[in-house]
Amino acid sequence: MAYSDKVVDHYNNPRNVGSFGKDTPGVGTGLVGAPECGDVMKLQIKVNLETGVIEDAKFKTFGCGSAIASSSLATEWLKGRTVDEAAVIKNTDIVTELKLPPVKIHCSVLAEDAIKAALADYKTKWGTQAPAEAAASASS
Amino acid sequence: MRRMNYFEVFCLDRKLGIDAQALQSRFYELSRRWHPDFQQGRTPEAQAEALERSALVNAAYRALRDPIARVEYLVRLAEGRDTKGGAVVKPKAPPELLEEIFELLETLAEARAGGLDDDRRAELAVERDRLVKRLAAEEDRLKGSLATAWDSATPADRPRVLAALKDALAVRAYLRTVIDDLTNALEGQESDAAHHRH
Ligand code: FES
Repeated sequence: MAYSDKVVDHYNNPRNVGSFGKDTPGVGTGLVGAPECGDVMKLQIKVNLETGVIEDAKFKTFGCGSAIASSSLATEWLKGRTVDEAAVIKNTDIVTELKLPPVKIHCSVLAEDAIKAALADYKTKWGTQAPAEAAASASS
Repeated sequence: MRRMNYFEVFCLDRKLGIDAQALQSRFYELSRRWHPDFQQGRTPEAQAEALERSALVNAAYRALRDPIARVEYLVRLAEGRDTKGGAVVKPKAPPELLEEIFELLETLAEARAGGLDDDRRAELAVERDRLVKRLAAEEDRLKGSLATAWDSATPADRPRVLAALKDALAVRAYLRTVIDDLTNALEGQESDAAHHRH
């Protein structure tokens, strides 16, 4: 299978590989799998509890090149976004950016699922403590 | 005309409990009927149709002969319909299983990086045996109790049973992947985890 240059680049130099402690303040963890192939991906965000901005993101993926590239790209995109801005990232954005072929779409879906799971986990664990969120809902 | 589905090819209900013997003799009978050798002297259209039929019969047999492949086909078939009607429920493996698998793959990656010593090997072999047993249990469930549940489900019950079938297939996929990874590592094939996948 021919991978696009961007996939190869992320695959050879994955950004932000690693992990945060699960219970570190502001950390949300998403652990997801693709039932089609059995690949698994962990993606974590670290949110500044004062500002609600994602300061750091890390991933670890046991899967194909496209899944690694998708999650690597996702962590790059996540950094600097607010939690709400992060929620709009779609797998189709990843497909476009990495030029994934149709058979590799589920790999990008896995990354979107991981983002969603990480955000949800963050919200359950720390959501009520984030003043940024309260401020956002008060001003809307 | 709508293409026949594989169950229809053999005049079967959309059930998972299939008499293997009966299926096989039906298959032979249909293969013979559409075999190119028996089409001599017929019109080109008839011959072309026979060819198509025999391909369909082969594909149908391949999909239905194996009880697990059969479940996979049933799910695909049901999904095809569901998609038109709306949402397809995504299968989910139990979170504990994902976590367990993830940890195992992490250990494996570390062990690989540091060179697999005998202790590590022994540990991983134990893990693998445990997972192989679990896989066998999951497959038995798919072929056994879950298949029976599908066959006796009322139409209202079917979505629930279908979801259970999909979840079990997902669990099976995860287990198979990690077992493959462990096997490759233990048998000393030095490819890194990302390479031998897909
Ligand atoms: S092939 Fe499974 S995630 Fe890419």
